[in-house]
Order: sequence, then C-alpha cells, then structure tokens
Amino acid sequence: MIRFETVTKTYKGEVVALREASAEIQRGEFVFLVGPSGSGKSTFIRLINREEVPDAGKILVAGKDVSSLSSWKVPYLRRNIGYVFQDYKLLPKKTVTENVAFALEVIGRPRPIIKRQVPAILELVGLSRKADRLPEELSGGEQQRISIARAFVNRPLILLADEPTGNLDPATSVGIMRLLDRINRSGTTVVMATHDRGIVDTMRRRVIELDRGMLVRDESRGVYE
Amino acid sequence: MIFRFWYFIRETFVSLWRNLSLTLAAILTVAISLALVGSSLLIREGADQATAQFQEGVEFIVFMNADALENQNEAIRKVLDTSPAIKEYVYVDKFAAYEEFRELFVDKPELVESVTPEIMPPSYRIVPSDPDADNVTELARQFSEQPGVKEVATATEAIRQIEDFSTRVSQALLLAAIVLVAVSAVLILNTVFTAISARKTEIEVMKLVGATNWFIRIPFMLEGTIHGLMGAGLAVPALFVVDSKVLAYFQESEAVPLFRGFAVPDGFVWNTSIWILVIGAAIGMIGSAFAVTRYLDV
Repeated sequence: MIRFETVTKTYKGEVVALREASAEIQRGEFVFLVGPSGSGKSTFIRLINREEVPDAGKILVAGKDVSSLSSWKVPYLRRNIGYVFQDYKLLPKKTVTENVAFALEVIGRPRPIIKRQVPAILELVGLSRKADRLPEELSGGEQQRISIARAFVNRPLILLADEPTGNLDPATSVGIMRLLDRINRSGTTVVMATHDRGIVDTMRRRVIELDRGMLVRDESRGVYE
Repeated sequence: MIFRFWYFIRETFVSLWRNLSLTLAAILTVAISLALVGSSLLIREGADQATAQFQEGVEFIVFMNADALENQNEAIRKVLDTSPAIKEYVYVDKFAAYEEFRELFVDKPELVESVTPEIMPPSYRIVPSDPDADNVTELARQFSEQPGVKEVATATEAIRQIEDFSTRVSQALLLAAIVLVAVSAVLILNTVFTAISARKTEIEVMKLVGATNWFIRIPFMLEGTIHGLMGAGLAVPALFVVDSKVLAYFQESEAVPLFRGFAVPDGFVWNTSIWILVIGAAIGMIGSAFAVTRYLDV
C-alpha cells in the first residue's frame, strides 16, 4: 500500500529530515512511527500524502509514484488518504455534523450521499447525540473523534495520524486508540506518529523507529523502545 | 454542478459579509476610481462633439444660405482657392450637413424629423494660413460681407478655452483614475488576502481532504470580482449624473455660442457604462487572482 524506496528529504538543503529511508507497509497494517522530536516522523507522514516532495528516492502509494505526481492529481490522491491532526483542526463555527460534512462537500459529493454517510460515521465514533453541538462545547477526546470521523467519512484506503493523542489524557487516549483500531480492522491502513509509550507497548503493532532522519528499527510486533 | 454553484455563492457571500469594512472600502474605491474614468471619457467625448467642426486646424466656418445661388458659391470658392491667407478648406454640402446633424441628434428623432437636407446650410470649413485671432476675425468679417453668406462662425477664444479646459480636466481625471484603479486593485488584493487568512484552517482542511485547487480558489476570486462589479455598479449611476448635470451645465453655458453643444449621445453613456463594468470586473479578478496565487499555495 505504501512503499518508501531510499527516500531522502532535506529542508532548505541543510536540515536532513529523512535519510535514505526504505520501508514497505501492506494494506490493512497498523504502523506506529516513533522517535524523538525532529527525528522525521512528521516528514514521513507528510511525504505520503504529498505535502512534501522527496529530494531523492521514490514513494509509492496505492501503486502510484507520488513523488512524481503532477500537482493537479494531488487532490485525487488525498481523497484516498484520511488525515488526523494533533490539534484536531475543527472549524469552530460549524457544528459536529457540518464539520464532518465539510470534508465531503469540498470534494463535490452529492448531498444525498452526505446526508447518508455523515450520521453513519458519527454513530461509529459515538457522537450521534452531539451532532448539533459546536466543537468548543465538547471535550478534547470528543473533538478528536470528530476529527477522525472527518478523516474517515470518505472511507479512505489509508489513515494518517500525527500525534492524535498528543493533547489528550491517558484514559481518553485509550478510547481514541480503540476507535483507530476499529477503523484499522475494517481494512484501512493506519500510520500513526506518536510519543505515547503506553499506547505503543499496549497495542503491540508494527513499530518503525526514526532517529535523526534514519530508519533505525522496524519490528512487526514492537514496543516503544 | 448545481450544488457546487450554490456552494460557491454561499461561501463567497459569507466571506464578503465577514470582511464587511474592508469589502466596503474596496467597493467604494473601485466606485470612485471608475466614476473618474467614466467622467474623463464623457468630458473628452463632450469636448470632441462641441468642437467637432473646429478640428484639424479649422478656425472659421462660412455658412451659406440654403438657397444660395451657384454663382455666389463660385465667387466664394474663387477667393478660397486664390487667397494666400487660406491654407485649405473643406466644402460640406447640405446632404453632408444633414448627415452630421442626424448623427449628433440620433437620440432626439423629433428634432431630426423637423429638418430636411433642403434647409441645411452648406458650409466651408476653412484652415487659414495664419491662425492668429485678429487675422481670423478680419477674414471672417470679409467673408460675411459676400453675397449668399448666411453667417460666419469662428473658433473663438471661448471655444479654444473650453477645448483646453476639457482636455486638462479629462487628463487630470484620467491620471487620478489610473492611480485609484491601482489602489483599488491593491485594496481588493488585501481584502482577499484577509479573507484567506481568516480561513486558514478551513483551507488547510480542504487541501488535506482532497479539494481541488480551483474549488478552493473560486470563492476568493468570485469575492474579488464582486468587489469590482459592485464598485462599477455604483460608478454607473454617477456617470448618468455627470451626463445630466455637468455636461448639461456646459451645454447651457453662454460661452459656447455654437449650434452644437457640449453633449454626448445617450448611447455613449451606456457604452461607457458597459466598459466601466468590464473594467471593474477585471480589476477585481486581477486583484484577487494575484492574492490567490500569492497567498494560497495550493
């Protein structure tokens, strides 16, 4: 599903974010990206959905070389990739339903489909009863659930999550991880950058460790360290 | 497609409303600058019309009686052809005079109907060798004494002043207008930039869920275009006010004793209005396109 072939990425020609990294992630896998701040986790994720372009090497996503993808095709690539942020990035003036529907509206999905899919996804993340609330009326965990609902409402092949539990307490984080696990079990490939040792050690999934841009460890049922 | 259309309209107007003070500033600046552009064009056209007979060096016109005899005309022509004081001249017969009259008063058919070519005075438009005012006055006096001559109209000092004045006014207006048009484009750019900044998160989310670049850009470009169009929409009535008040003032002025007045045909005001709307939309589109390509790195 995702293949990195000796990928190198530097910023401003100096800071090396990723150095000759190679990895292959299969369809339906759940992968933790771990490592200290600045080790290249975010760059790894941003390269997958073409927010960044590598300096060298090749990145294949769903069989397509995204590093050489022409820019007008990028939006169509991203329709297959959900993205969950550490700080949720919800639109404060839109209700829960509107926030999720927004992701479908802006890619031109017809209204009947939106009307059907949004309640279904809110059911999945357990927020049906708060559909008409504004984000500020909800807890951090609930806001992250909306963010996940928005990322998943279009049923993407891949879900990218950059520190999704970074702003949440451990108990709430567990709920978020259950949700991501459930999404993964439905067949979606999940790639999650995290600092959360507890989560990685409990879940025992594949772990890719980065250190100063180098891929230093890749274990199939790994722990944080 | 219909759904998208309403999406763009909604997003555009939400954004216009959110940025109300900047939006109004942009619209008013466009309105003022385009009103100046239009006024400049109207005044120039008015001056051209008022002095149409006196262009290309024509300093005086000898109008013959409509029923002037052929030998009277010949006598005039002989003087014109032989006198060293005359550089050149153009003969306008009654049919050409009638055509000109019809063109000038195309908006006033009742006036056109009241005349026929038969009653139009043929005329000689004369370029003297020496355009000095005293010389012209003396020549005019000589011609007015010839048999068959109805009257002699000279390009008096007053007309020359009107010409100079309108040229200067329309140039000053045009210069001010060009500066203001640039200012309005920058103001629209800024307004759209503010709109983009206000929706940073929204744009980020749109990009990441796979909205196409044009889908993201169009509402902002529509916003700028609407600024330009609304400004132009305010400028159009201003043009009609300039036409009915300012140009009418010139027409009634005692300083222009000629048959033709300082007027522009109604069609010209409408044509200018259409141009003003086109220019307004273009300013808005250019300003917002610049903002979008500069600040919306999609």
